[in-house]
Parts: sequence; C-alpha cells; structure tokens
Amino acid sequence: MDALATTPELIPARMLNEYVYCPRLFYLEYVQREWATNLDVLQGRYVHRRVDQAAGRVPRAEAVTAEVAIHARSVEIGSEELGAVAVIDVLESDDGQLVPVDYKKGSAPDLPEGAWEPERIQVCLQGLLLRANGYVSNYGVIYYVGDKTRVRVEFTPALVTRTKQLLADARALAVAGSLPPPLVNSNKCPRCSLVGICLPDELNHVQQVTGSRPTAETAHGSDKAGSVAPDVAPARREIRRLFPARDDNKAVYVQGQGYTLGLRGATLEIRDKGQAVDAVRLFEVSQLNIFGNVQLSAQALRALASQEIPILHLSYGGWLQAVTAPPPHKNIELRCRQFQAAADPAFCLKLAKALVGGKIRNSRLLLRRNGRRLPPEALSQLVALRDLVERGTSLAELLGVEGSAAREYFRYFSTMFKLPPDDAPPFDFTGRNRRPPKDPINALLSFGYSLLVKEMVVAVLGVGFDPYLGFYHQPRYGRPALALDLMEEFRPLVADSVVITVINNGEIGPDDFLQRGEAVALLPRARKVFIEAFERRLDQLVTHPVFGYQVSYRRVFEIQARLLARTLTGEIPRYIPFVTR
Amino acid sequence: MRNRYVVCYDIANQKRWRQVYRIMRGFGDAVQYSVFCCDLSPSERMLMIMALTEVMNQREDRVMVVDIGPADGRGKACIEALGKPLAPNSSERITVVV
Repeated sequence: MDALATTPELIPARMLNEYVYCPRLFYLEYVQREWATNLDVLQGRYVHRRVDQAAGRVPRAEAVTAEVAIHARSVEIGSEELGAVAVIDVLESDDGQLVPVDYKKGSAPDLPEGAWEPERIQVCLQGLLLRANGYVSNYGVIYYVGDKTRVRVEFTPALVTRTKQLLADARALAVAGSLPPPLVNSNKCPRCSLVGICLPDELNHVQQVTGSRPTAETAHGSDKAGSVAPDVAPARREIRRLFPARDDNKAVYVQGQGYTLGLRGATLEIRDKGQAVDAVRLFEVSQLNIFGNVQLSAQALRALASQEIPILHLSYGGWLQAVTAPPPHKNIELRCRQFQAAADPAFCLKLAKALVGGKIRNSRLLLRRNGRRLPPEALSQLVALRDLVERGTSLAELLGVEGSAAREYFRYFSTMFKLPPDDAPPFDFTGRNRRPPKDPINALLSFGYSLLVKEMVVAVLGVGFDPYLGFYHQPRYGRPALALDLMEEFRPLVADSVVITVINNGEIGPDDFLQRGEAVALLPRARKVFIEAFERRLDQLVTHPVFGYQVSYRRVFEIQARLLARTLTGEIPRYIPFVTR
Repeated sequence: MRNRYVVCYDIANQKRWRQVYRIMRGFGDAVQYSVFCCDLSPSERMLMIMALTEVMNQREDRVMVVDIGPADGRGKACIEALGKPLAPNSSERITVVV
C-alpha cells in the first residue's frame, strides 16, 4: 500500500522466524497485524511462562569477562543499525561471551542442523543483535521443552549472511506492501494459527478456476441436479478445511427488561432484581446481544472486551443501535482499500451485480424447494430478472430489478407455508411491509433481518472492514451499509428459511403476536423461540458450493467477508456470492 | 470439537482452594465437592491448565484431569449418577436467551 510504504520500524526476531516459515504469514502478522490464537500458540505461551518474566542482570559489554556468570531471562535488545529487535528468552554467559537461548515448545527435529531453519535464523539474529551492542556471541542455543534438548547453533559466516539477507528481504516485503501469495498444498498450513484468515487452499482454488476459465457461465436457470449456480466451478475434490467447521461458542441474548449483567469469577451472570437468572462461562461466549433496557457492569464490559467478544446493543424491537468492540481492527490497509473501492463506480457495480444475482438465485431456490403448487412462471420470472441483473448498467437499475424480484418472490412466499390442519385462517401474508410490520409474517421477517444484520456487522468488523461504508447500499447515517450488502445473498437462506421453519413446525403460532393499531410485534416468548431457531440455523452445517467442505452458516459469513477482502486487495478477480444448490 | 473432562482437585491450603474453585467455575459445572465436569476444546483445556498452574503449589496440591471422550459421544454416555440426578451440563446449549 503506497500510503503506508514508510520504512518499517525495527523488525522483531520472532517476525523474521515467521518470514522464513512463510512470507505471507509474516505479512499478515507484521504488516496487517492479524492475530489469532490456536493450541500451538497457547502451548508456546505456556512453555514460556517462566522465561517471559524478566529476571537477572545483564552487565554492559565491557564488563563481561570470563569470570562473570550471567543468567538472565526475557532480555530485550535492539539495534537501529540492524533494524531489528528481539526478546531473548534466556541469556547465558560462556567464558566471556553471551549465549542467547530460545525456548521452543516441541521436540528437537531429526535434522543434520539440529533445528528448523526459521528457528536457527531467529537465534542467529539474536546473536547479531548482541554483537551489534558490543557483546561477543558466537553460538546460540535452541531449547526444546518437549524433549528437554539443547541444540547448539553456531553463528557460521554462512548463517550470518543468510540471516542478514532474509532480514533485508523481509523489510523489502513490508515496504513493498503487497501480500505474498499463499503456499500451495503446504503441510505448514494445517497448524498455522492464521489459516482461517489466510485461507490458502480456498484462494489457490479460486485463482486457479477464475484465472484459467474466465466467466464460464452455466445455462441460466438450468435445474439439472448438481448444477452450481455461481459462475465458479466447484472444487473437483474437496478442499482441505483447515479450520473448525463450527464456532463452538454460544451467542448470549438478554431481552428481559430491567435485567443486569455482572461478572462473577470467570462467568457472566444474568440477574433479575439481584437474583441470578442464568450464568454463562466467559470463554464460551461468542457475542452478547442486549435488547432494550439491560444493564451491563463495567467489570463485565472489560472482561468481554479483553476477550474481544463484541457486545451488540439492540433496540427492544431488534434494530442494531450500537456495537461495543475493542478498538478497530489494526488492518488499516484493508480499510484504505475499502474506501478506494467504494469510490470506484465500476467496482461497486460489479460487486452489486454479484450480490443481487446471488440473492435472486437463493430466493428462487428457496421457492423451488419449499413452494407448494407454485405456478411455473414464478420461477421463470426470477430467472429473467436475474438475467436483467447481469445486463444492468447502474446501481439505480439494479435497485429496480432487485425490487421487482423481491415483489415476485414475496408474492409466492406464502406457498411455502404448510396449510393449517383445520380450516383456521392461515397467516395472512400478501407482500412485504415494514416500519412497522403490519402482519405476523412481516413481523417475523423484520426481526429475522435485524438479527442477520447484526450477525453481518460482527463478521465484517472481525475481518477489519468499516461496516458503515457499503458498495451497493450507499452510505446513510447510522446504516451498516456493508453488512447490508453482504447479507443480501443470505436473506432467503437464513432469515426467510427460519421464518418458514418456525411457522411450519408450529413453534410460533397466531397467539404469539401483539397487535397494536396497525403494527404487529412478537411477544417475548416467541422472540426467544425465534432467536433459538435462528441460532440453530447459523449452527447448521452446509456444503460450501465452491470449496466442497462443510461449514456452519456463521463460518460462511466470515469466509464470504474474507473473500470480499481478498477481492479488494486484488488477490481474486471478483467476489463470488454464496449460492447453495 | 470439545471433549468432556472430569477435573478433581486436592488443594492443601484454604486460600488456594478458593482460587482453584473460582477458576474452575469459569471452565465447567461443579458436580460434586472438588469435582467439575468441563467441555473443552484443546485450546480451552490449555487455558485451564495455564490458569491452574498459576495458583497451584506444585509440591502440595494436585489436580487430576480425566479425559472421558467427545462431549456429545462417550463423554455424555459414560457418566452415571446414583441418587440425586445430575443437572444437565450447561454447555449443551447453542445459545442462551433470557
């Protein structure tokens, strides 16, 4: 990124280790400041629990003699000249010279050099930093905690030259400001903590199919089994899914008016007039949703923030009013790109076509799957409108087409409800209305969309976007336009589908609504049922149409947001909407 | 995917016992005195161990961690309670709505 292409500050020796392991990892962590914790990261922290506590004294260079015994922990050392900095786990003395000892959690590898290259380079840089500060240092040690082995690494001229070269390369990469391509089928990826951010195999696949086969359009509206709607061919074999299919953590919704949320030990306690109603363990919370008048203690707020758990403040009716999240994501490069792209009408139009096209396909699919006694023209009209989207020349035109498609879709929407067993009047639904919704189905749809919006806000914030700047939805005060953009293709798949499910299963009936004048609202019990059904839907595994593996909808949201980010940085030529079969 | 763990502890000192109890409340459900039942991913298990080693006295205290298998498989099937029934494990919910 040109604007950020200043000389980087001192490069930490740890980051040089990452560069040798994978340049893309270095770029993501050091330039874009992406960070993720996995088991290996935690184990690493665990084995460093002692050496990370600074202790011991380190004399000045001239005072180091053969008689002085040094044993210091967590020693920070830097050099402007080298342009690097390091924290040395343990610093020992050996006959007048200093020996950096680096702790590693695993066992010593079976290699002639005794240690992996990234680790040798890292400890060599620590040695060079000692030398730059006037000390004598001719070898370092890598201590493998797993099998308690010390591996001696001599700072040979060859290793020193290589280290300096790699340091220069890493700096050049940071200055150049372009994300290196992912590794191909590497066995380094599965245990990399950033794999869910980097998406190596996914990107390689998309680049491969879009690069070699541009716009291989399938016949419009062909219904043959297995035909995949998006214009990107699915993977011939399943792509490695290198991250968990589901988010095991749970969303917490508090809608009891007057409830308070407080911290009790490591649990979040929900209280009504001082009496505990429920409690959730903090580590299990994925997000906290607060409807209306619910109090949150400052201690709970801090505890949630320290774990980067977003807090969503919604009106009692479910409209997103505020998001409390830790300070914005450090990936400023992405936000710069977002603002540049949003100012480019051609890019906005191309993306909007993908989004609207995806939405129409998914609407049609939902009707085709669930509609009863559906007139054949219903589906063909949607196909025709989808073709119009392809030929659209302006955002205003797309808005018009999208409106017509929505009208068509909602005209047949009630064919998806099972008929009531007796001749009780079914839910009255003829079309979409809102602000306020005037019938129960519209009330459910509105509530479903507002839940979906906040889900998308969480997804785009997590990736590092500004949720208020969209490409299709133009910015307007207080409207999370980017979240609205990305949710288009999921409206039918998630929100509408939940509405149909709760009605057809009889989970929500005509008695669950409150009529006030023209407006219809959900009663608290029905809201609870609906939220639970919505969360079940998000937890459901779905086969990804392009990558072929199974993931939950919640993960799909994140993947789509990341794909959009990669489209903005130019790594993939265009955004691929999520369209199920 | 989470595994179910039974975590039992003998802590020699009142103050540390209290601290261990508070930590464990953040990771699982208390099922008996000094016995917790926890559903944890490998990372969460590591976090628990890190939190416990912080407060334990390595010479006087002992915490036993028993892995009884996948939380929704063997982990669920192999615990039996005689007498008073066990409360359902609170981590079996997808979402919490109150």
